[in-house]
Amino acid sequence: MQILTQLIFSGIALGMIYAVIAFGYQLTFATSDTLNFGQGDALMLGALVGLTLVGLGLNYWLMIPLVCLFGAFQGTVVERIGVRPAIKIKSEFGWIMSTIALGIIFKNVAENVWGRDDLKFPSPLPESPMKFLGANVLPMEILVVVGAILMMLAVEFFNRKTIYGKAVVATFNDRDAAKLMGINTGLVITFSYALSSLTAAFAGVLIAPLTLTGATMGAVLGLKAFAVAIIGGLTSGLGIVVGGIILGIAETTTGFYISTGYKDVPGLVLLLIVLAVRPQGLFGKSVIKKV
Amino acid sequence: MKRSHLVLAVLGVAALLLFPLGVGNPYYIHLVETIMIYAIVLFGLDIVVGYTGQVSLGHAGLFGVGAYTAGVLVMKVGTPLLVTLIASIGVTALFGAILALPALRVSGPYLAMVTLAFGTIVQILINEMSFLTEGPMGIKLTKPNLLGVKLDEREFYWLVALLMVLSLIVVHRVLRSHLGRAFEALRGSPVACDCMGVSVYRYKVYAFVISAGFAGLAGALYSFSEQYISPNTYNFELTVLFLLAVIMGGRKSRIGSMVGATIIVLLPKLLDDIEMFRYVSVGLAVLVVATTVLGIQRGRVTPKQMAIPVVGSIALAGLSFWLQTMTDWRLSIFGVIMLFVVYYLQDGIVGFVRNAFNLGKRSIEKEPVATATGADALKTTSTSGPQAEILNASQVLMQFGGLKALNNVDLSIKRGTIHGLIGPNGSGKSTMMNVLTGIYVPTAGAISFGGNTVVGRTSSDIALSGIARTFQNVQLFGEMTALQNVQVGLHHTFDSNLFDVAVHTPRYGRESRAAVARAMGLLRFVGLADLAYEEARNLPYGKQRLLEIARALALDPQLLLLDEPAAGLTAPDIKELISFIRKIRDHGITVILIEHHMDVVMSMCDTVSVLDFGQKIAEGAPAAVQADEKVIEAYLGGQAA
Repeated sequence: MQILTQLIFSGIALGMIYAVIAFGYQLTFATSDTLNFGQGDALMLGALVGLTLVGLGLNYWLMIPLVCLFGAFQGTVVERIGVRPAIKIKSEFGWIMSTIALGIIFKNVAENVWGRDDLKFPSPLPESPMKFLGANVLPMEILVVVGAILMMLAVEFFNRKTIYGKAVVATFNDRDAAKLMGINTGLVITFSYALSSLTAAFAGVLIAPLTLTGATMGAVLGLKAFAVAIIGGLTSGLGIVVGGIILGIAETTTGFYISTGYKDVPGLVLLLIVLAVRPQGLFGKSVIKKV
Repeated sequence: MKRSHLVLAVLGVAALLLFPLGVGNPYYIHLVETIMIYAIVLFGLDIVVGYTGQVSLGHAGLFGVGAYTAGVLVMKVGTPLLVTLIASIGVTALFGAILALPALRVSGPYLAMVTLAFGTIVQILINEMSFLTEGPMGIKLTKPNLLGVKLDEREFYWLVALLMVLSLIVVHRVLRSHLGRAFEALRGSPVACDCMGVSVYRYKVYAFVISAGFAGLAGALYSFSEQYISPNTYNFELTVLFLLAVIMGGRKSRIGSMVGATIIVLLPKLLDDIEMFRYVSVGLAVLVVATTVLGIQRGRVTPKQMAIPVVGSIALAGLSFWLQTMTDWRLSIFGVIMLFVVYYLQDGIVGFVRNAFNLGKRSIEKEPVATATGADALKTTSTSGPQAEILNASQVLMQFGGLKALNNVDLSIKRGTIHGLIGPNGSGKSTMMNVLTGIYVPTAGAISFGGNTVVGRTSSDIALSGIARTFQNVQLFGEMTALQNVQVGLHHTFDSNLFDVAVHTPRYGRESRAAVARAMGLLRFVGLADLAYEEARNLPYGKQRLLEIARALALDPQLLLLDEPAAGLTAPDIKELISFIRKIRDHGITVILIEHHMDVVMSMCDTVSVLDFGQKIAEGAPAAVQADEKVIEAYLGGQAA
């Protein structure tokens, strides 16, 4: 029982990370119907840049805003090079391939800059576990959950309460109408990419102290976060949190009870099942397409 | 096939077969062998990517399934070569079907992610199922025995060459057949495809299964060729390489696939050799600059457009002299090439070369039409009960959220009549069409067609039972020729299966010739015979509408739904349209006509129903309806009572 509780706690922490990355998918999908296939690499770059900054002697907490800035910049680059030209020529194939290409380039650059080996990210909080409901919980895991929720709330608040946020929501509802209302939709899309990579980079520095940091850490995370975005529905904020937690717990329990080698399987299988049975996700609304 | 093509093909195959005799070095033999194996994968991948227009990131996984099926069978059971190859194809095709099941419901980025997830799962399973696959250790194999003789490197090369040529022929035949047209059609317009009786659902699976079969064959050959397989080969990088190869070589082209395969096999070797890479990158820069200059002179491109590729290729050449080793930056270079291909080389190398040298468009096979069917290509349907009811809709309710697009509408269509359906914009006419053809499932109500219920059946099923339609906003298969568009409508006349297509059995030949003749006849019927080999998207709007009618007629329908056929037609064209809609009716085909041109409606229809805000407000003979006060009010607005 104690082990199970512990697995659930780690699962929740992991799930929240997935939720934050999935949230990033939702942001760009909302404004432009596109996704960054290199979202996992944005996370990886965030973590590695954070590691370097910490290595330079910067405090963990001071480093976070800098990493967020870096993430926003990286997202802007992805949008300008990979997505905007593809949207202009209305090529779905184009943005899928170009974001994959950029992801590959980022990963390769990271390999050459930071090396191919996984690195240890120093934990900003004590590494001795606390007792909670009889289970050991790392303080870092609590930070991950709190940080993830704060991040998502902050963006939601921005979207709902500020005039800039309303421009984002308007673009989401109807890109052409928003454009006619004088909203620079191109800028909004760029902004959503910046925000999306920012959340990913933030997730990167949150998760890094709990796992190893390295150039290859992003790929599978990005894919599983996509599974979360699908399971939860690409339009539902609650959905990704629930989806993330389901996946996180499924993963930690599989890792413990079956084999760590199989821990990525349940998420991916769940993705396939959800898409086969309910493509709009568990919490998403189905759209009737017009002919 | 033209004679010059045939000669080239024979020369190509001969060169391929003689290659190991001329070049003794096993390294080069193995290299060409690998290219051929990749080419087989790419032939298959091109079916999915080029023809059905889906992005698959799962083909490295499928390739791995093929390789491991062969590896495991040989290691555990010691199966003979032929059995191994067939088993690999079969097992991989099965995996392709499993992959296609969730993929069926989705497309675009979702499909890309699903296939990526699939590929990842395959890699994990190969790694973890050590009892079967030896896990990360990999499996060692030897070259197979054929007819009791152990093949050496050179003999195995010939086997691979033979199988590649066979694959090439089979893929080529499949794609030229009704199956290939179905794949292309479901990309062009999924809705129209379903309404032509070609189930998008089913053909997407077919495409994946056939594609997977080739990946399986290639995988099995690869395991024998390398004599060692391990899980890490079949990773994300390989799957992206495959995709890159298909686009870079040129979609919808077998030559493109071979060019792509050559590039992705040679490129890593090239990057390992920095000296060589310097030469090639300088050569590439010169080539790009030269084509740019040529292009600007001919006025095909503007200097601004070409600025980035020119600067990029020169920068690449500079970079090659600056870096001491390229190996570590291999993936970045792939990434840059991908970006370049996606934005500047969308038609691939084959397409680029065709464009640059003005080779014109894809040579469209102009099969000689055996019979110049002067006789009508229309099939007469039996009008046994002339006044019998062919379609009955009762109390049909179609609700979108709170909006009732159709509010308890009754409709009764008599066989052999032209039934007009009119009403102001937004009155529910097109919704009615969509309900009748199964695109929407009505919220409530019953529809029966020829005694069978329609509600709940798929669009393709309904289409095959005899309801054909055209679309208000034209839904042609744009990249296909007019003739091919009509041939898609004739899909139901084919009984041939994959085997018939692959070996060109007499049955397929017969059906194929008959379909071409029928299609030409139908085009002649609507006056488009001269434009048979023109791509549908290049036709003027009015002609596109006519082509849609021809395509719908190809289904041999009993009931034809025409959604605003006269829109965009000139006055003389409209006159012609009226005459051939009458002709259609005279062949016993019942017609439902939605139209805003009142003169067309009034001069042709036997009965007219009027819809307004989802409700039927009038019905009867044209003259009576025209005089109805409610109708006048609906169109012109009435006084407040």
